Amino acid sequence: MCPSTYGAHMIEFQDLTKTYGPLRAVEGLSFRVEAGEVYALLGPNGAGKTTALRCLATLQAPTSGTARVGDADVCEQPLVVRARIGFLAASMGLYERLTPVELLQYFGRLHRMDGPDLDRRVAELTHAFGITPFANQPCGTLSTGQAQRVSVARALVHDPPALILDEPTMGLDVLSGEVIYRFIEAERNGGKAIVFSTHQMTEVELLADRVGVLNGGRLVAEGTPASLIGRTGERNMARAFLALVQGDGDGKGKGEALAPEEPG
Amino acid sequence: MSTAWVVFRKELRETLRDRRTLIVMVAIPILLYPVLLIATEQLALLGIRRLESEASQVGVTGPASDDVIDFLASDEALELLNVPDPVDAIRSKFVGAVAVFGPPPQGVGTQSATVLYDAADERSQRARTVLARALRNWDDTLLDRRLTERGLPPAFADPLAIADSSVARAEELGGYTLGRFLPMLLILMTLLGTFYPAIDMAAGEKERGTLETLLTAPVPPRQIVVGKFLAVALIGVVAAALNLASMLLTFQTGLFQLGGSLDIDFALPWGSVLIIFVTLIPLAVLFGSLFLGIALRSRSFKEAQTTLTPVYLLVMVPALLPVFPGIGFTVALAAVPVAGLGIFFRELMAGSPALAPSMVAVATTGLWAWAALAFASASFGREDVLFGVGDAQVESGGGLRERLRRVLGPVSATPSAAQAIGFIASVAVLFFYMGFPLQAGWGERGLLLSEWLLLLLPAFLFVRVAGFDVRETFSVRRPEGSHVAGALLLIAGAMPLGWFLAWAQGFVLPVPWDMLEGLEDLITAESPSRLLWLLALLALTPAICEEAVFRGVLLAGIRGRGSAIRIAVFNGLVFGAFHISFESAFRFLPTAWLGFILAWAVLSTRSIWVGVLMHFVNNGSIVLMASIPALRTWPADGGEAPPWVLLAPALLAVVMGVRLLGR
Repeated sequence: MCPSTYGAHMIEFQDLTKTYGPLRAVEGLSFRVEAGEVYALLGPNGAGKTTALRCLATLQAPTSGTARVGDADVCEQPLVVRARIGFLAASMGLYERLTPVELLQYFGRLHRMDGPDLDRRVAELTHAFGITPFANQPCGTLSTGQAQRVSVARALVHDPPALILDEPTMGLDVLSGEVIYRFIEAERNGGKAIVFSTHQMTEVELLADRVGVLNGGRLVAEGTPASLIGRTGERNMARAFLALVQGDGDGKGKGEALAPEEPG
Repeated sequence: MSTAWVVFRKELRETLRDRRTLIVMVAIPILLYPVLLIATEQLALLGIRRLESEASQVGVTGPASDDVIDFLASDEALELLNVPDPVDAIRSKFVGAVAVFGPPPQGVGTQSATVLYDAADERSQRARTVLARALRNWDDTLLDRRLTERGLPPAFADPLAIADSSVARAEELGGYTLGRFLPMLLILMTLLGTFYPAIDMAAGEKERGTLETLLTAPVPPRQIVVGKFLAVALIGVVAAALNLASMLLTFQTGLFQLGGSLDIDFALPWGSVLIIFVTLIPLAVLFGSLFLGIALRSRSFKEAQTTLTPVYLLVMVPALLPVFPGIGFTVALAAVPVAGLGIFFRELMAGSPALAPSMVAVATTGLWAWAALAFASASFGREDVLFGVGDAQVESGGGLRERLRRVLGPVSATPSAAQAIGFIASVAVLFFYMGFPLQAGWGERGLLLSEWLLLLLPAFLFVRVAGFDVRETFSVRRPEGSHVAGALLLIAGAMPLGWFLAWAQGFVLPVPWDMLEGLEDLITAESPSRLLWLLALLALTPAICEEAVFRGVLLAGIRGRGSAIRIAVFNGLVFGAFHISFESAFRFLPTAWLGFILAWAVLSTRSIWVGVLMHFVNNGSIVLMASIPALRTWPADGGEAPPWVLLAPALLAVVMGVRLLGR
């Protein structure tokens, strides 16, 4: 489906807050991702990245505020949102006793695909991600790189206009990581809106059109990688990130002073 | 294609590739019963043959005639040895048994012969059997001699030949024989069949991270639950069916051989077996949904196993009920989950079960299954159950001391629900192991000690050691005047209503008259000093000690976890369960009713003194009614119908009490 069908803002967080008892995991989060844009969500462990992405994927309900995919609200139309997203969890989420082909067919059917269309899509994906040599092996026997390729293919089986990737390169070697980079670039060029979380600053510089930095559940800075590097006065993204999240001891990072930019 | 069907097919495919499930589901039932039967049979035969191939060493003492000595010596199954001391000879295993003859008969009299043996020794038991048989043969020989001497026919000594013959049809006999243990085994096998698949499909999926992925598919959670529980239920039913088939075939080839050798006609009631198979389906749904719902709350396969094991053991209790003798098929028992269907299976195997309880058993199992399914569905829709992120982030980490403090210590001023329920469980165990022996050994003093030392003291120590707020936990607040008046009105109305409840319960549960009479003796005072002592023991003591535990700690833990009515009901149920005695479950309902009323009053007023006052009035009134002659004709706890004239004023008092307490 053409991404422009859904309007200009493919992904939108609107003042989203998520609390667990006294803990405010995400607080007042607002940002947008356009079709054909890659948005990297950065932050130290416990900053609220996974919680924010889970809220977007309708796995968790926001305490207040909301998020949208296209014009579908995560609280009001969760099934519509799910049909529009491809979600890649940090844990990959493969069924060990199913083969990659069976897994892709299973998720295809959950997305209401069936018959020759599903078979064609599964064949396309197994070819595109180099899964064919191990397509009929149980997922439990695959290497980390092979499993991640299957996992990405699984997220794409229904060809969603928006992709949510939670640490997609975690635990991968350089070669397997490269496959994921190429995939993200290809999907961006295909007009998909992509939001991903990561701790790898090199892949942020390589892939991200814009970056949002979360600290203590709040968006403390936002902009292109170049603008964040420039605004912090650091040499690279890794340094800029440290400057943004490391404060002077009172919990406030340098990014506190850097207001999120309006998305371009 | 329906989404639930897609999930069902995938779950089934995965399960059939799981070696552990296949072993439990297929290998065990197919192999276990025949192997067990053959092994038991062969071991038994081996032992019997070994014993039968040897002659038993025996001795004879006392004034035995030469004839009997010669008779025994000629028996090839016996080896006659000389024994100076019979007991020593048996104990030292020199001989297996010794025939000790009494004085010889005078004329046509009877000489006694006692067979000494060691009941704790298998070889000695065998020697006793062989020696006794030989002595009976000698007895027959002597009788024949006497009859011949007097010219009497052999039938003279046998004027009535007794024989029995069962009117049971072959199917009934087969069904009766199997009916005792088959329901229990079937239920347990269904339980086992659903156990691992449910854990794997819930906690296992959570642990592997696939649940998160699955829930981002555009599928309502209920469809996923339905697909999963269908798979679990089917696996449970298949496991039970395989067990049933294997068990019956083994039974047919094994025990029926014995039937043939004993000239007994056995046959299997295949029609009943088919009905049992069909009614196993809601049971499998019940187990599957219950296990799925609970397993979802665990973070890993291992944690789910640990959590579900007590549930598994708990379910086994009602499953064992049909085995016990004297358990009838009443409507009340038919409504008990698992037990009702188990007794229905037993009755079905034995013949034609009563219609009303059969319908109740099948219908209530369906209802329980539906409730369990709703529970599992609700669990699937809850993000705290699925991810538990908040708890994990707030509570993880810290050293041993920190963790201990979290287990015992106050995250807030009052205990959590888990802490309060854990405390109640500990007190129940303490009461069981120490309270009952104290009461059995020391009577009234034991009862007094068990209340103060095993209820109040642990409650106080729990709150102090863990550092909870004493006043807040025990609801130590001075009640307002209207609350005191309301409490008195409420208990005055609730007591007769409790009698009506106990009386109504008597239609379903048998009234334990012996226990009630014993109780009446205990609470009847014959003198003023005895009356004061009984009021202190039976009214004041429980009013303080039991209120501290149930309306103090327990209520503080569960307060705010639902509406006041729901919390009061839960509190009443726990209070009632705590008072179930060994003799009867009869006290459960009236005590649960009292607990409910007390909990509601304390919740409304936030003052434990209201509960103490009402509890004292309730128990004190019972003592007074039993002790004051003019009041003795009033209805006691259960038994006779209370005067209907009490109903309207009781309801009025309850309504007025509730209104005053609600102010």
